[in-house]
Amino acid sequence: MLGVDGSYPLIVALWLLPLAGAILCWVFGPQLKQVAGWLACTAMGASFVLTLLSWQAGTQTRVGDSNVAATNLLGAHQALFSWLPGFDFGLLLDPLSLIWAFIITGVGFLIHVYSMGYMYGDRAYARFFAYMNFFVFAMLTLVLSDNFVGLLVGWGLVGLASYFLIGFWFERPSAVAAARKAFVINVAGDVGIMLAIFILFAYTRSLGFGDVFANAGALGTTALLAVCVCLFIGAAAKSAQIPLHTWLPDAMEGPTPVSALIHAATMVTAGVYLVARCAPLWSQSPKAQLLVGTIGALTALMGAILGTAQWDIKRILAYSTMSQIGYMIMGVGVGAYEGGVAHFFTHAFFKAQLFLGSGLIIHALANEQDVRRMGGLAKKLPFAFWAMTIGVLAICGIPGFSGFFSKDQVIYGALQHGHPWLYAIGIITAGITAYYMFRMLLVTFAGEYRGNVAPGDLGMSVPKSADAETEAAAGTQAEPHVGDTHAHAPGWLMAVPVGILIVPTVLAGWLLFGGEHSAWAQFFAGQFTVSVLQNIPPISEGITTLIVLVLVIAGIAIAWIRYGTEAARSNAVVRLRDESVRMPGVLVHAFYVDAAIDVLFVRTSKFLGAAFGEFLDPQVIDGAVRGAVTSASLLGSLVRWLQTGLVRAYAFILVLGAVCLLAYYAIVGAH
Amino acid sequence: MAWRDFENAAPGAGWMIAFWILAIVLIASAMWVISASKPVYSVVGLLVHFTALAFMFITLSAEFLAAIQIIVYSGAILVLFLFVIALLSSGVAPFSAGPNRLPKIGIPAVALILIALGATVYATAHVSLQTPAVISTSGARMLSTVGFAGEADVFGSVADFGKALFTVHLLPFEITAFILMVAVIGVILLAGDQTPYVASRKRAVAVQRELREAILRGGEE
Amino acid sequence: MSGVLPVAIANYISLSAIIFFIGVAGVLLRRNPLIMLMSIELMWNAANLLFLAFARVWLNNAGHVFAFLVITVAAAEAAIGLAIVVTVFRSAQNVDVDEVRTLHG
Repeated sequence: MLGVDGSYPLIVALWLLPLAGAILCWVFGPQLKQVAGWLACTAMGASFVLTLLSWQAGTQTRVGDSNVAATNLLGAHQALFSWLPGFDFGLLLDPLSLIWAFIITGVGFLIHVYSMGYMYGDRAYARFFAYMNFFVFAMLTLVLSDNFVGLLVGWGLVGLASYFLIGFWFERPSAVAAARKAFVINVAGDVGIMLAIFILFAYTRSLGFGDVFANAGALGTTALLAVCVCLFIGAAAKSAQIPLHTWLPDAMEGPTPVSALIHAATMVTAGVYLVARCAPLWSQSPKAQLLVGTIGALTALMGAILGTAQWDIKRILAYSTMSQIGYMIMGVGVGAYEGGVAHFFTHAFFKAQLFLGSGLIIHALANEQDVRRMGGLAKKLPFAFWAMTIGVLAICGIPGFSGFFSKDQVIYGALQHGHPWLYAIGIITAGITAYYMFRMLLVTFAGEYRGNVAPGDLGMSVPKSADAETEAAAGTQAEPHVGDTHAHAPGWLMAVPVGILIVPTVLAGWLLFGGEHSAWAQFFAGQFTVSVLQNIPPISEGITTLIVLVLVIAGIAIAWIRYGTEAARSNAVVRLRDESVRMPGVLVHAFYVDAAIDVLFVRTSKFLGAAFGEFLDPQVIDGAVRGAVTSASLLGSLVRWLQTGLVRAYAFILVLGAVCLLAYYAIVGAH
Repeated sequence: MAWRDFENAAPGAGWMIAFWILAIVLIASAMWVISASKPVYSVVGLLVHFTALAFMFITLSAEFLAAIQIIVYSGAILVLFLFVIALLSSGVAPFSAGPNRLPKIGIPAVALILIALGATVYATAHVSLQTPAVISTSGARMLSTVGFAGEADVFGSVADFGKALFTVHLLPFEITAFILMVAVIGVILLAGDQTPYVASRKRAVAVQRELREAILRGGEE
Repeated sequence: MSGVLPVAIANYISLSAIIFFIGVAGVLLRRNPLIMLMSIELMWNAANLLFLAFARVWLNNAGHVFAFLVITVAAAEAAIGLAIVVTVFRSAQNVDVDEVRTLHG
């Protein structure tokens, strides 16, 4: 097993506390009312503190026995229970899962506090916190498991929690549809992981990480490739990579804290965790690495391109999440594990910040999410403005902010591991990222407030009035805030978490400062088997940084020209309407991926269902049963034809038999 | 007394002519039996058949059985047939017939018979008749002449037959006696006087009817 | 001693077969129960003929004994058969074997 065996009650407690919070909020929700929020936050806070207290255990190392092949045991291993002889379940807290647990509990705690303000007055307040705590518990199960089956359990539960939370306002049909879509696509990924587990078990006869990786040599090249591909199907579904990405933009139907926690910081990074955890498998299969890296890069590019065409602020952030996770996947795919995980680390902070900041805006503007109706909010919501600006600077990779360090490490890692094309795609995507993030920033905060302009003038499609009213009324806050048709300052419950997040958004990247001797590298020492890089890449890291910086500045400049200049700002309404009307169909329909999935899978399934239900079942299967009945009765009527009741007929048959006997003896002879 | 034994002597032509005449009579009377329009005519044909058969038995040195044939078959069974004909003739519609429910049975029946005959001919032509190991179980020392058929030591005589029946074949004899008793009892039960049983018969019929109705009612539920 | 028949044994076999199958034809083709019973008597007699012919060939008394027993059983059977005919057709509309169809399925 990986990890030093022992008894670590703190780890077990940090795993189970969110579950306790969830159960209490579930069961006693109606009685708890507002206290549910405090209860959930307390559970989260306690989990976070316990994570910090387990830091020492999680980073301990011990040299393995010299008899066994030299393995350094990293982290803490707590055995829980024995499932079958030879299969034990337990918790593993090594640096990799420690980083994830830190983000989950830490950022999760801040988002819980934020939610207390955001969801204030909602009819299902307690249910929300029950679901949020349940999600945290499921995510911790995923990252703390020491075997594939536990990981799969966490995987499934996280998908379930996501379904609950996306469809939290279940009176809205769009939310229900989005939840269902997310769940179905995630189930497709679950199948991939299950297949991978089957293949691994068939070859290595074990399920725990340590045993499987130690025996990974038993798989041949083909089996290993199959395992990696199946695992990646699961990772792609959970992390919204091409072609299983279509659920993520629709998942923005959930409340903003949900989007921040699940669809930005934690759940969608489960795929990255899976690839990083199974590093010993990927390192032995270059083809799989190429596949993963390519899909990651393409997703990053596609997400960025689609981000330039969105008008809903949360959808912009959703596509940017997809794009950044593409970076992470590319990183861990090509073998730059520390870079990919570092990007996850910094991304959690600035993406959560961006989502929570957008939540401040949405909350203040009474659930207005379209950026075309925003504008001029820099003066009205200065706190939100500064928070979002810092987040945008981080995501663009401006030097000094956290995203700068991690993104560069990922992009350069692609080149270091011999993938020049992915390197190029990474650089181009960085430029596009800068463009659309600044576009969002400028359209939202610069110029004049456009909330009073008619939607049609801005190029928005005018919704049917009846639907708009019911959608606005159902599921949103039962008691609207006083005077919420005007922008106003958020309460402290929402402001403090955003403020706290500013710090790591800026500073977290400095952990990577120093290359191989950074604090980050030392933290992960021994976690990943480092492959010796054969070829020195032609372009040095410094040059890479410069190229990226140039493209980023170019992107910002283009955005500034289109939306930020004096002329653009004063002409905003006309320009926005023009842009909306002239948006290419390919971008509007997201490269027609949804349409393709509909034709390929949805219609096929419906057709198959109709074929089976209307034809195969009644005609063929029922027909076979009826045919059996019919043939039995036919046989019966045939035999009944013989029962004439006539003496002469029976006599005839008697004589027939006798003659047969006679003929037999006559011909054969009675010898 | 002079015995004429026919050992290794070929029988005379007279016997052969007798055989052929009797064969023709037998076949003709058999055909008459099955094709007569009235049953009484069939009985007459059967009588002729039995008599010819008795003569045939005599040519086969089975004098005792010829006598039994006349006495039992012609004398008892045919009389029984006549009694039954008389009984049924006094019925509702004497010997009228309903519709023929197997009209096309003629062809398969005739075909069957011809096949069987063919098989028989084939068998007699190709199967050799082997003499059994035990040639004779009778104590007969000689064959009979026509005039001295009843003497013991003559094949086919009463004494010879009786000795065989009551010694060697005693068990079949006893069983046949039992069969006869069963037949008598059966006839009495079937066709005997039913008047003492009318009351119980009525009760039985009523019970039967109730049972049938209960079953029908049970099926409907 | 050996037995010599007036004609070859094959003739007796053929004669017996012919009479027997005439009886079969009578059973299958006639519908009057009495005539059917008489045809059955024909069949018994054909068998008797054959028994006696072979008894004469091999000078074996067993043939005679068996023919005797056949006559006895035939008599018993005729008696029972006639009793059945009387019972069934005593009050029937037609004396026709085809009318007895209660076993019709």
